[in-house]
Amino acid sequence: MSPAPRIRRRALVLWALAIVGVALLAAAPLVLNNYWLRVLTTVFMYAIVTQGLNVIVGLAGYHAFGNAVFFGFGAYGCGVAMTLGLPFPLALVAAVAVSAAVAGVIGWPILRLRGHYFAIATVALNLAAIQLVIQVGGITGGAQGLPLPLSDLPPGPLYRAIYLVMLAGMVVSTLLVAFILTRPFGYALRAIRDGERAAGVMGIDTTASKVAAWAISAGITGFAGGVWAYWITFIEPASAFDPAIGVKAYMMLILGGMGTVVGPVLGAFVLEFLSTLVWGGFVTAHQIVFGVLIVAICLVAPNGMLVAGRTLIQRWRSRHGAA
Amino acid sequence: MLWQATTNGLLLGGLYGIATIGFSMVWGVMGVINLAHTGFIMLGAYTTYGLYHWVGLDPIASIPISMAAMFALGYVLQVLILNQIIRTSLLLSLVVTFGIELVMVDAVSNAFTSDVRSVNASYAASSIELFGVLIPVVRLVAAGFSIALGIAFYAFLRFTRAGQMILATALDREVAALMGINPERIYALTAGAGAALAGATGSLASMLFPIMPGMGLTFLSAVFVITVLGGIGSVEGCIVAGFIYGLVQAWSGYYLGANYQEIVGFALFLLVLVLRPQGLFGRAFFGEHA
Repeated sequence: MSPAPRIRRRALVLWALAIVGVALLAAAPLVLNNYWLRVLTTVFMYAIVTQGLNVIVGLAGYHAFGNAVFFGFGAYGCGVAMTLGLPFPLALVAAVAVSAAVAGVIGWPILRLRGHYFAIATVALNLAAIQLVIQVGGITGGAQGLPLPLSDLPPGPLYRAIYLVMLAGMVVSTLLVAFILTRPFGYALRAIRDGERAAGVMGIDTTASKVAAWAISAGITGFAGGVWAYWITFIEPASAFDPAIGVKAYMMLILGGMGTVVGPVLGAFVLEFLSTLVWGGFVTAHQIVFGVLIVAICLVAPNGMLVAGRTLIQRWRSRHGAA
Repeated sequence: MLWQATTNGLLLGGLYGIATIGFSMVWGVMGVINLAHTGFIMLGAYTTYGLYHWVGLDPIASIPISMAAMFALGYVLQVLILNQIIRTSLLLSLVVTFGIELVMVDAVSNAFTSDVRSVNASYAASSIELFGVLIPVVRLVAAGFSIALGIAFYAFLRFTRAGQMILATALDREVAALMGINPERIYALTAGAGAALAGATGSLASMLFPIMPGMGLTFLSAVFVITVLGGIGSVEGCIVAGFIYGLVQAWSGYYLGANYQEIVGFALFLLVLVLRPQGLFGRAFFGEHA
C-alpha cells in the first residue's frame, strides 16, 4: 500500500522540476548571448527530432533510420508555403501536414517490412527524397536551393522568437509522447514493439497503429524542419535531407533511453553540448570526432546513459563490498 | 542508341554486382547492415590512386593490394567494434557503421582534400566498336574483372573449408559453434572478405568514375537495391541483380533522362520489398537474423 503515494510524490517532484526548468529556459533569452542562444535552439531542435524518432522507434519498435527525410519535407513544406505567400505560422502547419501525409502514404507499403528491411527502406527513402526535390525543381528551387522570404523582425527578436518556438515544440512533443503512453494507442504501440503477431491476435489493428505512429513521428520531425528552414532562411536538398540529422537524433535516443518520456530531451542536451564543446577544438575533423563518438556510445552505453551509469555504480559497489 | 545504352548498362551492372556481394554476405551471415561498406569502396579507389600516383602502378595491378589492405581493415574493425555490438543489438550496427563511414570519409578528405582525382590507365581512351556499339576498353575490363571476382568468391564459399564454415555459420550459429567453429572468427573473416571485395570494386571504379571522398555514397542506393533484389546473402543473386539494376538504370536514363535514375531505382526497391522481399535468389535461412 505504501509505494503508491511515494511514487505519486516522486512524480509530483519531477513535474515541478520540469516546469521550473522550462520556465528558466523560457526566460533565458533575456540573459543569453547570441552564441548560447543558437546552441540552445539547436538543442531544442534535436530534442524535437529525437522525440519524433522516439514515437516510431522507442514506442513502436520500428527502426526508422532515415527519419530525417521528414525533417526535409517539413523544411520544404514550410519554405514552399512561405514562397507562395503564407505567413510563418500557417506555413508551419503546412510543414507538419505535408510530413505526416507523406509518412501516411509511404507507410502503408513500407511498414509491412520488418527489422532491417524497414530500416534500409527508410534510408533509401531519404536518399531518394534528395533526388526527388532536385527533379521537381520549379517552386522547390531544385538543386539551386530555396531562399525563404525574410522576416519583418530585426535579427535579435527573430532569433529569440525562433528559440521560443523551438522550446515550445520540444515541450509539446514531449507532452504528446507522455500522453500517448497513457492512452490505449500507446499500449498498442508497445505491444507491437514487443510482439507484433501477438498484438494482432489481441485485436490491435497493427497496420493502422503503425501508420498512425509514423505519421505522428513525421509530423513532429516536420515541425522541427519547418522552424529550422525559417531560422536559416536558405535550404537546399543536401542540407535539408542530410541523413546525419537522423543519425544524430538516433544517437540522442540511444543515449537518453528509447521509449522513455524525457530520455530524448536528456539525450539531446548531453550529446549536443558534448559535441559543441568538443568540436570547438577540432575544426577540420568534425566528422571524425562525431564518428568516434557514435562508436564509443554504442560500445559503452548501448542501452542509454542512465542504464550505463547504474551498471557502473552497481559494479563499483559490489567491488567495494567485496574488498 | 538504345543498344549503346543497353551495353553501357550491362557493363556497369557487372561492377554494381561486385560492389554489392560483400554487403550482402555480411548482412546474410551476421545480420549486420554495413553502411561503412561504401567507405571501403572509396578507400579501395584511393589505394589505387595512391599507388598509381606515387609508385606508378597500373590500376589493375593494384587490385590485389587494395583487396589485401581492405581485408585487414575489415577484419580488424569487426574484431574490435562490430563483434562487441552484435552481442547487444543488431540494429545498433547501422549507427555504428555509419559512424565508421563518417570517420573514413573525413579522414580521406583531410588527407587528400575534397578535390576530384583520377587515374588514367594507358588503355583508358581506347574502345572497341562492335555492330555500331562503342565499347570502352576500361569498362569491358572492369566488367570482366567483376564477373571473374564474383565467380571466384562463389567458388571460395562452395569449395573451400573456410567458405563452408561461413555458410554453416550463416545457416545456424549455435550448431556451427557446436561443430567447433568459432562464430566471431568467422564473422571477422566474412567482414574481411566483404571489405576486400569492396576494395576491388573501388580499384575498378577508380578507372571509371572521378575519385573523391564522397564517391562511395553514389554506390549506396545501388547496393541496397541489388542486395534486396538478389536476395540477402546470395552471391549469384548479386551478380544477376547487378545486371538487372544496370539495365534498369540505363534504360530509365535513356527513356526518362539521367536524373530519374535514382527515383526509378527507389521505385524498383520498393516494388521488390513489397512483392518479393526474399529477392530473386534468397533462401529461407539467409538474413534470418533480422
